[in-house]
Amino acid sequence: MITKQNQFLGAVFALFLGLFLSLSTPIHASAEKGTESDPYVITTDVTYAPFEFKNAEGDYVGIDVETLDAIAEDQNFSYELRPLAFSAGLQALESNQVDGMIAAMSITDERKESFDFSDPYFEAGTVMAVSKNNDAISSYEDLDGKTVAVKVGTTGAAFVTELKKQFDIDINQFEDSATMYEDVVSGHSDAVFDDYPVMAYAVQQGLKLQFPLDPEAGDVYGFAVNKGQNPELLEKFNAGLATIKENGVHKEITDKYTSENSEAATSNNFFTLIQNNYSELLTGLGRTLVLTLVSFAIALVVGVILGLFSATSNNLLSGISTLYVTIMRGIPLIVLAFFVYFSIPQFLNIQLSAYLAGVITLSLNTSAYISELVRGGIQAVAGGQLEAARSLGLPYKTSMRKIVLPQAIKIMIPSFINQFVITLKDTSILSVIGIVELTQTGKIIIARTYSSGNMWLIIGIMYIVLITILTKLSTVLERKISND
Amino acid sequence: MTKLKVEHLKKNFGKLEVLKDLNIEVQEGEVICIIGPSGSGKSTFLRCMNALEEITGGKVIIDNFDLTDPKQDINKVRENIGMVFQQFNLFPHLTVLDNITLAPKELKKESAETSEKRALELLETVGLSEKANDYPKSLSGGQKQRVAIARALAMDPDIMLFDEPTSALDPEMVGDVLEVMQKLADQGMTMLVVTHEMGFAKEVADRVIFMDGGYIVEEGDPKEVFDNPQQERTKNFLEKVLI
Repeated sequence: MITKQNQFLGAVFALFLGLFLSLSTPIHASAEKGTESDPYVITTDVTYAPFEFKNAEGDYVGIDVETLDAIAEDQNFSYELRPLAFSAGLQALESNQVDGMIAAMSITDERKESFDFSDPYFEAGTVMAVSKNNDAISSYEDLDGKTVAVKVGTTGAAFVTELKKQFDIDINQFEDSATMYEDVVSGHSDAVFDDYPVMAYAVQQGLKLQFPLDPEAGDVYGFAVNKGQNPELLEKFNAGLATIKENGVHKEITDKYTSENSEAATSNNFFTLIQNNYSELLTGLGRTLVLTLVSFAIALVVGVILGLFSATSNNLLSGISTLYVTIMRGIPLIVLAFFVYFSIPQFLNIQLSAYLAGVITLSLNTSAYISELVRGGIQAVAGGQLEAARSLGLPYKTSMRKIVLPQAIKIMIPSFINQFVITLKDTSILSVIGIVELTQTGKIIIARTYSSGNMWLIIGIMYIVLITILTKLSTVLERKISND
Repeated sequence: MTKLKVEHLKKNFGKLEVLKDLNIEVQEGEVICIIGPSGSGKSTFLRCMNALEEITGGKVIIDNFDLTDPKQDINKVRENIGMVFQQFNLFPHLTVLDNITLAPKELKKESAETSEKRALELLETVGLSEKANDYPKSLSGGQKQRVAIARALAMDPDIMLFDEPTSALDPEMVGDVLEVMQKLADQGMTMLVVTHEMGFAKEVADRVIFMDGGYIVEEGDPKEVFDNPQQERTKNFLEKVLI
């Protein structure tokens, strides 16, 4: 009995290991990078118009993206753009998950300690903005006792931290610009500090903000590589930048997004939003669904095995299960996502795609809960039923398979459906590592259209519809199983 | 011929000593009723006879097989020991027939035909032929217990253990179940019965064992024990239950 369980355990470990290795690819120290087959991986912010954002066609555009593209073409190297939230991008660069970063990043002394920067490709200054109908704030002194919104890790945030030394200021921290602006428009925060071109573009797009003061003296933006890494990429960037500055391409790109005559704002009512973005929204919905189904399927296998472990009287197996559940339940999903995406690749020296990291994260988390459901279901049935089966001479495995599990599964189905819905909703957390599922799709559209009110309503309805349909399907399935 | 031999049996639940040095010998075909107050250890004792409880010390030898020997295949031994529980423990997701045929099909590799034929015979013995295709939830307590007896008999055991088989039944159902047990006893089955049915013990048992505090206090012919108990504790107990 014990030896059989150990074989089983070994097989499970082998399965895990195999899965992990087959899904991960080792970093290869190739001399020739930037080719078709081995492109540079360059991260940018997910949404930071006009530097990087998705247009209505779903393509990334903006000053950063187009500058990089022009330089790559001039210097004849290939790259893969990997949008990540700004702070996540910094971590990715530091941990060599990516080769370079172009994300409207100000060149500061502090950052120079961690990264090597190119020549500046853009000059910008931090500026304060307030709501259009707010006339009470016209100087920094007026911020005393007020709440200010900033984006984590930006120059604007650093500027406000300095101001805080003189004035009593509450700081609201945000991960992306669109949400931060909406916080001011909706009156939660009184003012916001961000790069002038970004906010100027947003205002042109219809954002209800105004600038009571002129921008601060300019910051310069640079392309960054990790300290001492990829020096040839930096050289190519500088050479390419010189070329496009000389031939006027660079000015063309920046003017397109910062001149007064930028493209006009479009109407953003509920229905035009759906009409203009439905294919992007459906793609996001599809990603959410696939992410959920794949993760839940893996979690079901792992969770059932662990649940069976915890129901045995074997101390080693139930100990493994308890330890697993304790760890996974003790980690917030967002921390687990960061751990899988940033820490594991550093510890094991491998590269993980965000999508794969997302699947691993959700599977790890969900399997712990499924394991508990299985344990509970088995315990609810076992006892007398298991004893009756064993007293007839049936071995443990046969007793579980023929007597306990068929009854336990019926008990567990409603909880499984519930867990599936939870897992589906948890996919939204994975937007932090750059997976463009439904929630992230919403953020991206809002960054382009500044229409958070209607957009979140649309996203919310889409989740409700999807979950309701799936729940109904599961109920039909449940009835079929219960009636057989 | 000795069927079952218990030597210095001990059972602890954690630090609590439930059974303290029990010794008995049971002959083939003998019917033994175990009586005693609640908490005296009689159910635990019975459950040690097929190792549903892990045995702390001593030996339980059945047909020369030592249950406490770790090399012993306990499943093989259990095939020859039927057990009937107070709470019936029928399998609710299986029909009456499938409840009975499951173990013979799995363990003896009997064909569906053979095992079903045998199951129907057993159902006739317990008077429930017409219930073969019903699910347990549609049966009364007494019917459930009779199916449970048929299920245990389907493996052709040569010892039957009964753990308070009538305690969960409405009074009017008790008779049917006791009748089936009496029939079994008449056919020469070796039986260990933990029971509160003193009438049954008096009439059917070859020997009565009175347990209290984890010990066998008194044992002997039912007439002797009931009419002329030797121990003070036995007297006290019988006075309370035989009013």
